[in-house]
Amino acid sequence: MAESILKVQNLSYQYSGENQALKHVSVDIAAGERICVVGSNGAGKSTFFLNVNGVLTPDAGEIYFKGHHVGRNKKDLNDLRRGIGIVFQDADNQIIASTVMGEVSFGPMNLKLPKAEVQARVDEALDYMNLEAFKNRAPHYCSGGEKKRITIADIIAMHSEVIIFDEPTAALDPLNAVILEEVLGKLVDQGKTLLISTHDMDFAYRWAKRLLVFADGEIIADGTPETVFADDAIRIKANLKKPMLLDVYESMVSRGLAQDTGAYPKNILQFEKWLDQVKA
Amino acid sequence: MDRGWIWVIPPLLLCLAGAVLKACRHRGEPRHHHQGWGHKHGEATLSIDIYAYMSKISGWNPGFKVGLSVILLLMCVIANNMVVSLSVILITSTVTVVLGDMSLHHYLNLLTVPVVFLVAGSIMVLINFSWTPVAGAVANLNCHWFTIYITATSVHTTLLLWGRAFGAVCAMYMMSLSTMSGEIFSVLRRCHVPKLVIELMNMMYRYIFIMLDTQSRMKNSAQSRLGYCDFKTSIYSFGQSMGNLLIVSMKRGSQFYDAMESRGYDGDLVFLEEEKPLDKKMLLAAGLVISYLAFVWFVTTRGAGYYG
Repeated sequence: MAESILKVQNLSYQYSGENQALKHVSVDIAAGERICVVGSNGAGKSTFFLNVNGVLTPDAGEIYFKGHHVGRNKKDLNDLRRGIGIVFQDADNQIIASTVMGEVSFGPMNLKLPKAEVQARVDEALDYMNLEAFKNRAPHYCSGGEKKRITIADIIAMHSEVIIFDEPTAALDPLNAVILEEVLGKLVDQGKTLLISTHDMDFAYRWAKRLLVFADGEIIADGTPETVFADDAIRIKANLKKPMLLDVYESMVSRGLAQDTGAYPKNILQFEKWLDQVKA
Repeated sequence: MDRGWIWVIPPLLLCLAGAVLKACRHRGEPRHHHQGWGHKHGEATLSIDIYAYMSKISGWNPGFKVGLSVILLLMCVIANNMVVSLSVILITSTVTVVLGDMSLHHYLNLLTVPVVFLVAGSIMVLINFSWTPVAGAVANLNCHWFTIYITATSVHTTLLLWGRAFGAVCAMYMMSLSTMSGEIFSVLRRCHVPKLVIELMNMMYRYIFIMLDTQSRMKNSAQSRLGYCDFKTSIYSFGQSMGNLLIVSMKRGSQFYDAMESRGYDGDLVFLEEEKPLDKKMLLAAGLVISYLAFVWFVTTRGAGYYG
């Protein structure tokens, strides 16, 4: 197991006047993991993200970033925010500057980097998200998909080790969703640790190596997608829909159309390969 | 005819040369069909800042553009001189339309906004009231109980006022139609305007678009549910949407702050800006324009007082 990059112990958080949003959440995340965070609306996913980013201050519990305990002081919190970036769900809530370049530079500028370094990072992030042509445009005249790309470039420019995406596919058309998945692949190749909250179980099933299931402020399951989806009790408690391919696979096996080889195909290519295999 | 008017000829020639240049540049392009004059409600006025992003001269140094516009504006207002005002109008319009390559139609459209205010405001300067018809007035309008009359002096004052106001508007348009708002804010910061004011400007500017967007979405959804079917319902729906807008804004404000904090915001709102070096030739051209105007001002005020 790789070294732990983010460790949360017994984290609790309550919004003022509301019921408890997080109840004793503990999780240990290793560097380079691909994690999907799933669970119904209001299960505590976004609250969890804001807590581990130091934006919300937990009522109880400890956070360790790269083995160091994160205190309540400004320096620790700034280190945490430097290391963990969040791509927010609603791009309009994140975009602040009046040009795309200014917007992407906001994070690096706050890191107090020298100007040349900021410029280099902005150029790199814009190139990464294929946004060079938008450099001097106004974000408010960009389309939804373009805004999403801008917000991702924002975080890439900060060179965070951990990147959290809060429901990134929610507002995207299929083409932009494919582009997003390519970007996620590139980020994984660079060794970034990714946490993605999503309601798209097909995506979670094919992309994630680990699933965190939130229900009612608690993590009720933590494991590989196969094990989580195999547990009906958890699936029902968290209101998760079974991924299509898993459903098809299991139906075929239960009807005796194919034997269970334990392949669990995650995308169409793997599925076809498995079909060829069982047919032979 | 007074000799002072010949000083309008050089700017006029400049303007004509610009028109020819623009015509040549756009030769062979299909003509657009415009839907009448005047600005469209809700759209044209709100997206006025998009011209700054499209302008060909948006690459000029922002400090230079702001500085030049302010100097021309001040000259125009202080000189109170018809020839100077006309020259400023011609020169700044040429810069905006020809160098900035903005569509003339759009430019004139935008100018209709201040024209309305100008006409409304200057009527009281133009006309005078009297109980009896006035001898020697340009026009007398008998209204039975009293007379409205216009004198040569009042016509002159009104024209002077128009020229002055229009010159000022054109100078400001030259700036705002070619300089992105973010850049104007940063010029202000360099002029030592308090940081708090600048940050507020930045956030308000960004927030205006979010609010407009939210409002238009709420309005559309209310409209699709017959929320604007008659006057009474419209008033009710409008009030509801305004109240909702307040709540939504407060909520979004806090989400906005979360997002800023998560990117390490610590009280300093600074963005990277593109370096736009100051061109010496441009500085020279601006110097020429300003000294020409100063010269015209001097020449025309020294003689007859007619222009100022």
